[in-house]
Amino acid sequence: MDRCSHPNCFADDNTTCTLGHIRLDMCPEWSCVSKGEVATTSDSDQMLLPWSGLAMGESDLNFISGKVKPITVGVIGPENAGKTTILGAFYLLLGRGALTTDTNPFSSSYTLAGWEAVATNLRWKPGHFPHFPPHTPSGAARAPGMLHLGFRCKDGELRDFLFADAPGEWFKKWAINEQAADAEGARWIARHADVTLLIADRQALAGPKMGAARNDFQLLAQRAVAEARGRRLALVWTKGDVDVAPAMEAQIRKAVALGSSSVPEFTVSVYPHGEIDAAEGFRELFGWILSTKRAGVNLPTTSVSGHDPLFRFGRR
Amino acid sequence: MAAKHTILLVGESNVGKTHYGAQFLKRLMAKACALKMSGAPTSLEAFTTALSCLTEGKATDHTPANTYVESIWPITDDAGNYAELVWPDYGGEQVRSLVTQRRIPAAWRDRVLGAADWVLLIRLHSLRSEDDLFSRPLQSFAEAEGEAAAYEPSDQARIVELLQMLLYLAQFHLDRPLRKPRLTILLSCWDELDTAELPADILASRLPMLWSFVRSNWISPIVIGLSALERALSKTDADQEYAIRGPEEFGYVVLPNGVKDNDITLPIRRLMAGET
Repeated sequence: MDRCSHPNCFADDNTTCTLGHIRLDMCPEWSCVSKGEVATTSDSDQMLLPWSGLAMGESDLNFISGKVKPITVGVIGPENAGKTTILGAFYLLLGRGALTTDTNPFSSSYTLAGWEAVATNLRWKPGHFPHFPPHTPSGAARAPGMLHLGFRCKDGELRDFLFADAPGEWFKKWAINEQAADAEGARWIARHADVTLLIADRQALAGPKMGAARNDFQLLAQRAVAEARGRRLALVWTKGDVDVAPAMEAQIRKAVALGSSSVPEFTVSVYPHGEIDAAEGFRELFGWILSTKRAGVNLPTTSVSGHDPLFRFGRR
Repeated sequence: MAAKHTILLVGESNVGKTHYGAQFLKRLMAKACALKMSGAPTSLEAFTTALSCLTEGKATDHTPANTYVESIWPITDDAGNYAELVWPDYGGEQVRSLVTQRRIPAAWRDRVLGAADWVLLIRLHSLRSEDDLFSRPLQSFAEAEGEAAAYEPSDQARIVELLQMLLYLAQFHLDRPLRKPRLTILLSCWDELDTAELPADILASRLPMLWSFVRSNWISPIVIGLSALERALSKTDADQEYAIRGPEEFGYVVLPNGVKDNDITLPIRRLMAGET
């Protein structure tokens, strides 16, 4: 696919057209690029929306982050570890009303089509069994696709979350070389993520290539923990139904606990575990993410000599 | 001069917008409800076919996709509030194409901006309930198939997106839960559901994400069950009882507290009464 000539448009990479066109042939910018095709005359009577529902790219984020910076959740893990499945599971639980409690009702999402695309594989459809989401394409080394969810908190405030859905290759390259040319997306996540979910793939850690998987994880954890610089980080075991040697588990925990002493741990699986519902692990993890608060900024209080109200910080 | 009370009546195709409009109008004309017609409506054209079908006890045809007509009904309620109710009738495909095409015709933008209250019709019976791996756990997982199958967004995602689009068009921001425009959700064809639950409860259990969205963004959304016809009518075979007793004898609403009432104009009367 050709690249759109608009500097902020990444429609060629399966994200939102920056002008909001769902059908690219309707977009005047795009029709400049794809010459030869007959451009449909755009109907000036119609209005476009600033969001398309698809996963957002970095330049689309202004629409959400215009007022308050949303909380960015980076899911960091190797390929095929189940990063997209976690996001899909969150969305399915949201659709069932089981993701959050009544105190934090779901309030908006400007990437519903993107969420649907992530979750559709996990649904039963006539003639189709649910299956894991296919590989997230890595495409160009730019910001990852962002999925948005907004919740209303107890105090009535909205809290926006952005979930970064990024391919595993990025993280592998990034773990080896922080400056790797095609790890721009991984760097973006590391720089912006307020919450980092570090994924440990139990199946890989118990599989025939467990040594390589352990080594990859240790490298990735080292990088992620260093970059997190005290921001929230959790260790998430995916494919929780697979048994892993206790010594291996200990190694993984050690790798994560390098920097900080207490890293919360979560285990998720799409299979129900005995009496425990499959949803439980995902719900627990999401509850932890939801409890993230952006650290407040403390403005220095200044002693004002005069009484001009202009120079008072009225609000904190 | 009385305030014009314009209602944004939103519903996809086949939720029963025309039947509700026609039954509403029939009630007003027969003076069998809490709201009274004070004068004559501007044009009954939109509902003549539906009215004559119902009089015989037949269901009316699908409203053509491109039609959009408004009919203005001067009404008063028992407290003496006077309003001109602007009631639209249109092909429901227009609503669906708002979401799928994401191109908003100027006419729809004006309608959204001009409406004092929003009434959303949802026919739960026609919505799919999808199974996923949480409702029906897997024994074994199939490996990802080569080609991603085409899919349609889920029904509640579509309705949430519709409301988000309307809110955007009406220039409301969601910093705080909204008091206005008031939102009334009518669960149409209530008779199909065959339930004794409260309307809000059944909405919450069938479309939890939508209900969460609505409750988080409106201060007091109202959910009312509506059965405009009380029973399914056929397009070809006339219902004898309808023909004998008249369509105004049929239809009911289930109020938020579960009370069944034969006056299907009550949802609108609530909106009018709240105005003053």
